[in-house]
Amino acid sequence: MSNNPLIQTMDLKKNYITEALETPALRGVSTELHAGEFTAVAGPSGSGKSTLLHLLGGLDRPTGGDILLEGRPMSKLSKDELAKLRLTNLGFVFQAYNLIPVLTVLENTAFVLELQGVVRRERIKRAKKVLAELGIDQYADQYPNRISGGQQQRVAVARAVVAEPSIVLADEPTANLDTAMSLDLIDLMKRLNREKGSTFFFSTHDSRLLDRVNRLITLVDGKVEQDESRDAS
Amino acid sequence: MMKAVLRHLLRNRRRSILTLLAVLIPVYFLVFMFGFTNGVVSDLFTTATRIDTGHFQVRHVEKRGMGSARPLLQDADVWAAAVHEMEGVEWTTTRLDLPALASSGDRSQTVYVQGVIPEEVAPISNIENLILDGRYIRSDDHGAVIGQELSQLLSISVGSDLVLLGAHPETGVGVLKIPVVGIYDAPLSEMGKGLIQVPLETARQLARSPRAATAIVARVEGVTGVGDLGKIEAITAQLAGQLPESLEVVDWRELAPQVKSYMSILGPALTSVGVVFFGLGSLVVLNTLYLAVKERTRELGLIISLGASRGRVIRMFLMEAGVLAVLGSVWGALVGAGLILGIEALGGVPIPGEYGAFARAIGMSTELHLAIRWPQLLLAAATMSLVAILAAWLPAYQASKLEPVEAMRYVE
Ligand SMILES: Nc1ncnc2c1ncn2[C@@H]1O[C@H](COP(=O)(O)OP(=O)(O)OP(=O)(O)O)[C@@H](O)[C@H]1O
Ligand SMILES: [Mg+2]
Repeated sequence: MSNNPLIQTMDLKKNYITEALETPALRGVSTELHAGEFTAVAGPSGSGKSTLLHLLGGLDRPTGGDILLEGRPMSKLSKDELAKLRLTNLGFVFQAYNLIPVLTVLENTAFVLELQGVVRRERIKRAKKVLAELGIDQYADQYPNRISGGQQQRVAVARAVVAEPSIVLADEPTANLDTAMSLDLIDLMKRLNREKGSTFFFSTHDSRLLDRVNRLITLVDGKVEQDESRDAS
Repeated sequence: MMKAVLRHLLRNRRRSILTLLAVLIPVYFLVFMFGFTNGVVSDLFTTATRIDTGHFQVRHVEKRGMGSARPLLQDADVWAAAVHEMEGVEWTTTRLDLPALASSGDRSQTVYVQGVIPEEVAPISNIENLILDGRYIRSDDHGAVIGQELSQLLSISVGSDLVLLGAHPETGVGVLKIPVVGIYDAPLSEMGKGLIQVPLETARQLARSPRAATAIVARVEGVTGVGDLGKIEAITAQLAGQLPESLEVVDWRELAPQVKSYMSILGPALTSVGVVFFGLGSLVVLNTLYLAVKERTRELGLIISLGASRGRVIRMFLMEAGVLAVLGSVWGALVGAGLILGIEALGGVPIPGEYGAFARAIGMSTELHLAIRWPQLLLAAATMSLVAILAAWLPAYQASKLEPVEAMRYVE
């Protein structure tokens, strides 16, 4: 493992303020994520997993602390710069509604490449290759509503890795899947991690998935309670 | 991106059609209004220039204190020949009009005597075709045609003698006794009561000026409607430079001021109609796009999360609006133009009632002829497209400002 962390959080805090109520979702998280890791963040409901992922993804701003991405503080970036960072450096898999309904599986996969301005021929080629690697190229011309939830999440993973980002952030990618499909999806991500060195950081509250990870961070009440390396199977 | 734009439009077919109509209908309506008002203006113009003014006249400059009499222009035939020779002048005739008292026995009536060259006057007078009794006047004999109303007032008929007492301020009193050769059916009773036509030479005798006229009336080649006004202007400008100070060129603007004032209110009137219609059309575009933004909040959240720039999101919605706006505008313009051409192919819109009868009496077509010009089509379609796309900016901008996390949590 290299000494320079990919991502470093420094006393990261987030308070949600609604009307009179102030909810502390993160109460100071300091940790490091390294290239090539396959990390899960677990913890009870409301412990701050989603909040942490949103902050790491530049989708929301912390109320305290900072995040260094490859050494650069994210707090210094403007909204537009954050969007650009997400486009070029980060891959995302969400819990649901990952795909654009009017685009086919292939077009969805190629979408980030289109946003990046990659020419049509090239992006189709790259998207097809990733779909083939993930074994879902037979659905390339289907629209998202024609394939199963498990397949949709696989397409989302394909879309997340197609532009080869520094890290893929996934917030409960298996929450809507049954156990078999969940294990399949995690195995798929794990394979990409092993074979291509893709870095994953995902949240889950499904303990059955946890023996697949190299590292498990446990959040409780917005704080890191445990951070352990594991021998993944 | 175009593919996705079109698929979005097809997915929401009903809303797309509604938006299309919201753009199409105003353009269609405006194009039709253009066609109709073009027809009305051309009709007014033709009526005015046909009924007696011609496209322009050469006259002696106005003098004060002449009442309803017009100043005399001497050597009229020389000037008439000169105007007739000009490039672009299609037709000229010479007229001498003067007020007079017409009497028979112990009855009399003030009238306006028009001295015309009977063989030439058809393009500005249709009296020849309105004769009820007797015949029209001829250059080679004295005689008058009078309206039916006047014949009743004076209780005279064809063959009766009519005494005319002319009093032109420049030449004094002249008296003439001439036979009535024909009686005409006037389209307006005022005309039937007061307008007498006699040969030019007869009128000259009455005015005691053998070489005079009150106007040389001309028509310009190739003028079929208000679209050709430039041709008239070119000739009158050229002519004005050649005339001595005592003479002037008067064009149809002064001769038929009602046409000019009608035309000058048309522009603003059509503009305000356009503003209202285009305003309504773009409100619909604005509204449907707001709905689209709301409906696709989650999808927008996803796109923004993945790193789409604000410009990209705005472009996406502007393209959606743009496709519908341009399609609807062009379609609307074509439907409007098609309707106009269709109506014309069937012979135009019949003019109803008295005005139709009047049009027939003065020798004009009794149909209103609609016409549309390319620039008007283009103007209507382009303005609507532009306004609709501008209206789309607001929702598009709003979409680009969505917060990704909140947008993705959004539930319809
Ligand atoms: N937009 C928000 N406004 C107000 N409070 C919020 C908001 N988002 C999260 N919270 C609160 O912040 C805390 C942490 O929420 P978060 O969603 O990060 O937890 P989580 O670990 O992802 O939970 P779960 O397992 O249920 O997804 C919770 O108390 C939650 O109610
Ligand atoms: Mg969560």
